[in-house]
Amino acid sequence: MKKKLIAIAAAALMVVALAGCSSSSSSSASASASASASASAATEMKLVTPGTITVGTSPDYPPFENLEGNDIVGFEVDLVNAVAGKLGVKVEYKAMNFDSIIAAVEAGTQIDLGMSGFTITPERAKTIDFTTSFYTDDLGIATMNNGAFTSEDALAADGVRIAVQSGTTGESAMKENYPKAEVTSYTSSNDIFAALSAGKADAACTNISVVNAMLTESYNDCSVIKKISSGEDYGLVVAKGNPVLTQKINAALADLEKDGTIANLLAKWNL
Amino acid sequence: MNLPTTVPQQSRGARIALAALAVLIAFTCTFSVPATALALDTSKTTAKTNSDSGADVLGGKETRVTWEGQAAEGEELSGLSLTFPAGTQFGVDDARVTLLKDGGSERVAVLKNAKITKEGQTIKATFDVSSYKGAGDFYRLEVYEVVFPVAGGDQQLTGTYTLASGQTRDMDIPVISVVETTLPEQIAGAIESTDWYKAWCENKFLKLFLNPALIVRSIPVVFHGFLMALAIVLCAFPCAIPLGLILALMRMSKLAVLRGIGSVYVNVVRGTPLFLQIYVAFFGLPLAGINVPNFPLGVIVLFMNSAAYLCEIFRAGIQSIPKGQNEAARSLGMNAAQTMIFVIIPQTVRRVIPTMTSEFILLYKDTSLLAAVGIMEVVQYSKSIVASTGSITPYIVAALFYLVITLPLAKFVGNLEAKLANTDGGSAPAKKKRANKKDSVVANGEIESSVAIADGEAAMGIPMTQKGGK
Repeated sequence: MKKKLIAIAAAALMVVALAGCSSSSSSSASASASASASASAATEMKLVTPGTITVGTSPDYPPFENLEGNDIVGFEVDLVNAVAGKLGVKVEYKAMNFDSIIAAVEAGTQIDLGMSGFTITPERAKTIDFTTSFYTDDLGIATMNNGAFTSEDALAADGVRIAVQSGTTGESAMKENYPKAEVTSYTSSNDIFAALSAGKADAACTNISVVNAMLTESYNDCSVIKKISSGEDYGLVVAKGNPVLTQKINAALADLEKDGTIANLLAKWNL
Repeated sequence: MNLPTTVPQQSRGARIALAALAVLIAFTCTFSVPATALALDTSKTTAKTNSDSGADVLGGKETRVTWEGQAAEGEELSGLSLTFPAGTQFGVDDARVTLLKDGGSERVAVLKNAKITKEGQTIKATFDVSSYKGAGDFYRLEVYEVVFPVAGGDQQLTGTYTLASGQTRDMDIPVISVVETTLPEQIAGAIESTDWYKAWCENKFLKLFLNPALIVRSIPVVFHGFLMALAIVLCAFPCAIPLGLILALMRMSKLAVLRGIGSVYVNVVRGTPLFLQIYVAFFGLPLAGINVPNFPLGVIVLFMNSAAYLCEIFRAGIQSIPKGQNEAARSLGMNAAQTMIFVIIPQTVRRVIPTMTSEFILLYKDTSLLAAVGIMEVVQYSKSIVASTGSITPYIVAALFYLVITLPLAKFVGNLEAKLANTDGGSAPAKKKRANKKDSVVANGEIESSVAIADGEAAMGIPMTQKGGK
């Protein structure tokens, strides 16, 4: 399967390289809007700003992406920078709310790529395309050390307030597994921990690597009481009408996997 | 709401006990009939919530069913099957089997080699875990594209598991409660299956902003938020009026201390974004040991904010009443309080009603800021649908729920202003001034109206432009 994908991507790359010799990139953008998903029909990737890949991200998800001063840093940032290096384009990051990224990618007028620890799910894949996965994450539930909810048994009780990030897999997992709980959604992962330490929530749930990063960075009075090995594959989000971009990124990801870059980056960010 | 869920809670003790039981039964079984030992314990069988609000599983709409089971120690499975009740559809393309350990908290591997097939109502997975050498004893089967019957009800799945030794046994599976599809969900489903809907969605703008199926789906969900927003503003605004009046009187007081307190409060509240005030109240106050539940806290923050704006509206209104009114009342023997209560304030009320209504509109719109701190109001509900569908349409529905209130109120303000202008005769300012001079001593309501309009407009302009920065 993977080999086939790489082959298709490589073929697409060649077609693009050939086409690139003769035509300008901007004029064909509207012409290829109705291009079919087959690699042979589409020839070029569409970018909002030619020569630059514009990435929408919610920079509140350490260690994948968060703000350090004015810069967005993190594992995915390094990864997308490396991918852009392979594609020979510049990268520009746009900070936006997590729950609006998919809509923005689909609209295709502001950003080309969505990058925010997106779990590949069949539901989401109906509206947008995912690249191949580069990381698999699990869910974690954290509570205050001095609170009443230090064991996971307590979570099954009536009316336990669980803070989640709106539109995340953590949100749906909590609703599914703790139907008696009062699941409250917040905009960012910072907010769910703020709510937890402010006593507005009894527990906070998001992806375990984010929970761990939050706990070591700022919330050392909380601890993880349950890990759910949900096996969530992370991918980048590309519009359905832009199959060439997806293929190119997949090819770049495969290269980065092969040359050990991804493994190095994972180690760099303690993942 | 009431999914029969047994959350994986396999404590070590329980597993040891289970293993001991298995050993014991195996021992007795060597002398008796073939094994009846329960080598696998279903931890949970749940369906993913697919309603846009709450935790219900709806019929007639896609969901994902997750089965999890704990195998006895030393037991390896080689196959699983789940049989869905008649009338339920499911897909096998995305289905996957995962091998885990430690009661499901650590993943060993996603069994990529699992062969998953569909036979009638049964999904069958066969796999080989021998290469993991007993590293995992917890299994998970996820089935996607499951659509339960529209009528809902308790769904009893049945299932079997096959041990590596080849024995196949039945397993106990808890029922999944499915709620009957709601009417909007049915309508949305019907819309989605039509051809014109597909043609409509060909246009990206129409699909993202005016998706008819999503409009139908969003309205009942966002309506919950509409009630919440109304409840908040209807509690907050009446509280803001007396506080605003007190602040206005404080700011006009002869006592410098009262004036100072009033000014500081009004300037600080009006000089900082409401969003920040909400954050401080929701995430800051609890750290200082002040714990107020979400709804009253939301009401308190909004009414304290609104009071500062109302203070300025009232102050402008009161100060617009000509001095002569005060002097006339005092010369009739009224004291300062009586003058204020019986003469000044009654005249102020009609002057400030248009501006107050505008403030009400602003406050109603500001309830949307509470979404950030987890209060389920209009924006928060629409946001959750936006997040799950990736369409902007629910925000358009949210906008409609604001307009339902704000448009009639704006019309009301307009009418009120026209009425005030009419009672005055609505002519040129020069004429009004002359009239004002002529009867300046008499406490005649008709005369002040002209001043009221001028002042009303001024008062309306100031807070509104300042509020634009919120």
